[in-house]
Amino acid sequence: MVAKVMQIILSPVLALVVGVFFLGLARKIMARIHWRYGPPLVQPVIDMIRLFYQKSVSHGSVFDLGLILSLAGSIVVVLFLPFGQMCPLSNSGGLLVILYIMLLAPLGLALSGGQGANPNISIGISRKLILSLGYEVPLLLVLLAVMTHYKTISIIEVVKIQQSTGWSIISFPLFLSGLSYFLILPAILGIRPFDISSALQEISSGPIVEYGGKYLALVTIEHAFALFISIALFVNLFLGGGANPLIFFAKMLVVFVLGLCINAVFPRFRIEQAIKYLWKWPTLLAFLGLIITLM
Amino acid sequence: MDRNQIRKWLRAPAKMANKYSLHAIYFCTGCGIIEVPPVITARWDAERFGVIPVATPRQANLFLITGYVSVKTLRAIIRTYEQMLEPKYTVGFGSCPINGGMYWDSYNTIKHLDKYIPIDGWIAGCMPRPEAIFIAVTHLWTLIDKGMANGYIRYRENYEFYRRNQEMVLGKLDWPPLYSTE
Repeated sequence: MVAKVMQIILSPVLALVVGVFFLGLARKIMARIHWRYGPPLVQPVIDMIRLFYQKSVSHGSVFDLGLILSLAGSIVVVLFLPFGQMCPLSNSGGLLVILYIMLLAPLGLALSGGQGANPNISIGISRKLILSLGYEVPLLLVLLAVMTHYKTISIIEVVKIQQSTGWSIISFPLFLSGLSYFLILPAILGIRPFDISSALQEISSGPIVEYGGKYLALVTIEHAFALFISIALFVNLFLGGGANPLIFFAKMLVVFVLGLCINAVFPRFRIEQAIKYLWKWPTLLAFLGLIITLM
Repeated sequence: MDRNQIRKWLRAPAKMANKYSLHAIYFCTGCGIIEVPPVITARWDAERFGVIPVATPRQANLFLITGYVSVKTLRAIIRTYEQMLEPKYTVGFGSCPINGGMYWDSYNTIKHLDKYIPIDGWIAGCMPRPEAIFIAVTHLWTLIDKGMANGYIRYRENYEFYRRNQEMVLGKLDWPPLYSTE
């Protein structure tokens, strides 16, 4: 009982630390790819301290509550994800619950941003929702293929089976699904070439244009959680989880650095190009994987 | 980060965080903005000092006024400055915001920017080299350390003066005063 409570408290903290570390690492690696020296690894932490000490402007109660809703949604998803042997809420729900609660974070942010009444926010949110329409289709097909192949909806079971029979990304029918998930990973993370919704130069960083001070710090924390969740889901479903949290985080790191290399060299898609891409190759691969799994 | 700095971080985290996380609002007022892209990209890499450009005034705390300020731009500058969140720092870049520079007898530019918004530091020159921005940033660190980068406090205290000067150039302002002027 005590161990469970400890895990419930510890795992979001761990996820936050890893997510913020990833944010710092992203800036450093991007700088190195650009042949720059880059900021120190702790730069996101410095930024957050600065933001927490700054004055902040609220745009109404929905502005605050939407942000809290999206943070809460992210923290709850983290509780459902096993990393290493740690999984606080292992016996309740599974992939289906994760799928449902994963929607809370972007919806909360959309709700909160809508209160800001800035045209850039509405453009950003509509782009974000269109983009999620693009990647939800292959994502659902991928998850369906995984659930059908292992004949379970529990993510713990999926990890356990993989640890005895090998990673699913190198097993035959799921190889296609894994590739498809990796292809849509930049869209889920919102990094280039899919940073359409947070485009700095086009729509002044989109949904977060009105956030400053503490609100921006909370948005950064939410971003760190989102980063953690989508990569952890990939590692759990296709790279066999981890025997302990350390191995798990090492696998996450590899996936994240691969994603960053894509981020560093590709220009941004337009929204219709992104949809065309997302509904062509990843969906095709995911659909093929599902068909072969069903046969 | 040496041991000396850790003690400083513990003593005044807000001050240190303000120093090392200067987010500059990317707002092109004049010709000086041409010096900023080399500063933020691979050649001079301002990000190693924590200086990055952001797109909106809400997220920024450093305002670089680059080059001459026409009357039309002044309106946008004031609105942007008032939207930034405290503590905020302004740096005038180039000789035009200081005293008009080569536009000193122009009918359409303002001569002394610090009559309209408070300025924490100047970079003289026409154009200053990109390195000058780093010198300004290090000077700004010293000013923040000593508590002398207090432009936003001066703005609050002397708001009547600044508002009167703004109205003298722009006529009736179509936004309410930021602070009460009684």
